Amino acid sequence: MLIPDLFRHGLERGWQVQNASQLVEDLTLEADIAIVGSGAGGATSAEILSAAGFRVLLIEEGGLFTSSDFRMQENEAYPTLYQEGLGRLSKDGAITILQGRAVGGTTLVNWTSSFRTPDQTLAHWASEHGVVGHDSRSMAPWFERMEQRLGVERWAAEPNANNDVLRRGCEELGLHWAVIPRNVRGCWNLGYCGLGCPTNAKQSMLVTCIPAMLDQGGSLLYLARADRLLLAGDRVAGIECVAMDERCVAPTGRRVRVRARHYILAGGAINSPALLMRSEAPDPHHLLGKRTFLHLTSFSWAQFDHLINPFYGAPQSIYSDHFQWRDGVTGPMGYKLEVPPMQPGFSATVLGEPGTPGAGLMEQLPNSNMLLALLRDGFHPDSASGTVTLRGDGSPVLDYQLTDYTREGLRRSYLSMAEIQFAAGAKLVKTVHRDATPARNMAQAREIIEQLPLERYRALLGSAHVMGGCPMGEDPQHAVTDSLGRHHQLENLSIHDGSLFPTSIGANPQLSIYGLTAKLASLLAERLA
Amino acid sequence: MNTSTEQPGISRRQLLRCGLLGTLVLATAGGIASVTRTLRSGPGTGYRQLRESHIPMLRRIIPVILDGALPAGEADATVQAVLDGLDRSLDHLSPAMRSQSLQLFDLLSLDLTRGAATGIWRSWENATSEQVANFLSRWEHSRLALFRQGYGALNQAILLVWYGQPLAWAHCGYPGPPRF
Ligand SMILES: Cc1cc2nc3c(=O)[nH]c(=O)nc-3n(C[C@H](O)[C@H](O)[C@H](O)COP(=O)(O)OP(=O)(O)OC[C@H]3O[C@@H](n4cnc5c(N)ncnc54)[C@H](O)[C@@H]3O)c2cc1C
Ligand code: SF4
Repeated sequence: MLIPDLFRHGLERGWQVQNASQLVEDLTLEADIAIVGSGAGGATSAEILSAAGFRVLLIEEGGLFTSSDFRMQENEAYPTLYQEGLGRLSKDGAITILQGRAVGGTTLVNWTSSFRTPDQTLAHWASEHGVVGHDSRSMAPWFERMEQRLGVERWAAEPNANNDVLRRGCEELGLHWAVIPRNVRGCWNLGYCGLGCPTNAKQSMLVTCIPAMLDQGGSLLYLARADRLLLAGDRVAGIECVAMDERCVAPTGRRVRVRARHYILAGGAINSPALLMRSEAPDPHHLLGKRTFLHLTSFSWAQFDHLINPFYGAPQSIYSDHFQWRDGVTGPMGYKLEVPPMQPGFSATVLGEPGTPGAGLMEQLPNSNMLLALLRDGFHPDSASGTVTLRGDGSPVLDYQLTDYTREGLRRSYLSMAEIQFAAGAKLVKTVHRDATPARNMAQAREIIEQLPLERYRALLGSAHVMGGCPMGEDPQHAVTDSLGRHHQLENLSIHDGSLFPTSIGANPQLSIYGLTAKLASLLAERLA
Repeated sequence: MNTSTEQPGISRRQLLRCGLLGTLVLATAGGIASVTRTLRSGPGTGYRQLRESHIPMLRRIIPVILDGALPAGEADATVQAVLDGLDRSLDHLSPAMRSQSLQLFDLLSLDLTRGAATGIWRSWENATSEQVANFLSRWEHSRLALFRQGYGALNQAILLVWYGQPLAWAHCGYPGPPRF
C-alpha cells in the first residue's frame, strides 16, 4: 500500500510498546503516571503529561491495529475494534451500545464530528451540578487548542448525498442546519471512519497523541485489562491488570502489576465506573455507574428516486440543531439530527427487518438515506438514564429503561425525521420501528408514527455516545470527582474521560472530552510538578 | 399444537413452561442453564463455538430470516457462509454475551426445550419454512420479554453477518469498498 503506516514506522524507531498477550511471565511496571484507557481522554492526557516530563504508562485492554490493518470490511472491524466484539447491549438487550476497544479507543472508529460542548450544557452543569470553572469562556482556549491539535475544521467539500438529504430537507422546511467540523487532515472522503481510517487522515488518538507520547519516551501496554485498583487507605497503591488473548476475549493467565505516583482512569463511560466498582472503591453516596447517558438514538429510513450511495463519502458533514434547545434546556427532550454512514451490515442491522420486507428495503440501499436523532438525556428529572452493574464475572452491563418523557421525545424525533425526508423528496419513509410500515407521504407517516407503541424491542434503538457514571462536581454527595477530575475520596486518583459528564452533552462528545481532559491534565501536571 | 396458525403467543401451559425454562436458561448461570451446558457437546467440527446441535436449527432459520436476500441457486454455500460468520462473531464476543447467545441456541435446538419454546416438536431438519416463520412471529409478539429479546438477537446477528460479506452485496447494490 502507498500510504505510510505511521504507527508501524514509529515501532521500528523503537517506541516502548508491549503486547501483554505475549507475556510468558507476570510483570511489574513502574511509572510516574499510569493511565487506564487509550481513547479520547486517556491519550490526550498522556501526551500532555509526558510533554511535561512525567514518565507515562498507557494501559489499553484492546489490540493494536494500524492503518494497514484497516481494509474497510465490516466483518473484520466490528469483532476486533468494538467493546465486547460488538456484543454490547443494554441489560435487557433492547439498545445496541457501540464503544471502541483498541489502541486509540473509540476515536479509532468514530465518525469525526467535532463540536465544542454547547454553552447551554456548560451553564446547566454550573447551575445544577456544582461544576465550577468550566464555563464557556474558560473552556474556549482548551477547545481551540485541541481543534488545532487534531485539525478540526468545517468540512469544506460537498456533503455526500446522504448528508445532503438532511441539508435539503431542512432548507425546504426553513429549519436550522449547518456544516459539521471534522478532525481530519487530507481526508480522502471515503466514508469508512467507523471501520478504522485506512489513510491516517482521521486525526484519531492512534495517529496524534499516542505517537507524540511515545516519541516523548512514554510507554504503551496493550491487550492488558485493568482488573482492579489496589487500595491502601485513601490512596491507590497499584493496578492489577490481566493480560488478554489476541482476541481480547479471554485472560491468558499472566498478570501485570503497575505502580505509579498518580493514576488516571480513562476507560470511558461504563468501563471506568465498573473498574471502580470491581475495586470496591469508596462510594459513600452510591453514585458510581448511575446517571449514565446514551444520547439514545432513533432512526428513520427513506427511499429516493436518485442515487445516493450512502455508504460512500465523509459519513457526517451536515447536522440540524433545530429541535435541540428550542423548548429550553430542561423542557421536553431536545435532539440533534445527523446521518450515519450506511455500509450494508450496519444498515441492515439498524433496520433490523428480516424476510422479504427487509430484503426489499436493502435492495434499494443505493437509493436510500437514513437520518438519526441523538436524544439529549439527563437534563430533565424524568429523562431516562442508565445504571452500570457488574455481572458475575466482573464485566459491566448497563441497565437503561425508557421513561414517558423519553418516549415523547422519541415520537417527536420520528416525526421530525420523516418530515425532513419527505421535504427532501423521499418517495417512501420507514420509521425504524418494528410496527412501522413504509409511508408514501407525511400524512400517512404521521398516522403511523402516532400509533407506534414505544416499547423496548419494538422501537429499534442504539447509542454511540456513552457518557456519565462518574460525574464531576464540587459536592461529594452528588459527584464522584471534583471539577478537576480528582476523585473525592481517593487522593492520587483522577478520572479523565466521558464518564465525568453530569448529563449528556447535546452534541457528539469527542471534542468535549479532548478539551476538558487537556485542561485537567495540564492542571494535574502543574500540581504534580 | 405442532403448527401454529393460532393467535400469536402460545398456550398458557406452554407459556408457563417456556417462561420457566426460558428464564432459567437465558437469565441465570445456574439451574437449567447448567443442565443444558452439560448436555451441550463441544464445538461442532469446523467450528470454534457453534455446537453440532445448533447447525440444523440455524440452517433452517437463516434462510427464513434472509428470505429474499439470498442469491438464487446458491443456498447451501450462502447459508454455510453465514454459519461461518456467526461462528466467528461468537468467537469474538465477550464471554458473557457469548454464553447468552449459546444458551439461546441451546434453548432452540435441544430436544428438552425446543418444542415448548418454538412449537417445532419434530426435528429442525423436518421443519417447514412456514413453521419457522410462525415460530419467529410468535417470538416477535410474545408476552415474554425474553422471547422478544431472543427474536431481535437472532435477526440482528444474522443480518449483520450476512450483509457484512461480499456474497451479499450484489443484492443490495453495494460495489464494496473503494480500491486504491
Ligand atoms: C461508531 C461511533 C461513532 C462515533 N462518532 C463520533 C463523532 O463523529 N463525533 C464525536 O464527537 N464522537 C463520536 N463518537 C463517540 C466518541 O468517540 C466517544 O464518546 C469518545 O471517544 C469517548 O472517549 P473516552 O475517553 O471517554 O473513551 P474511549 O475513547 O472509548 O476510550 C476508552 C478506552 O479504554 C479502554 N478500556 C476500558 N476499560 C479498560 C480497562 N479496564 N483496562 C484497560 N483498558 C480499558 C477501552 O478499550 C478504550 O480503548 C462515536 C462513537 C462510536 C462508537
Ligand atoms: S472519510 Fe476520511 S477520515 Fe473517514 S475513513 Fe475515509 S479518509 Fe479516513
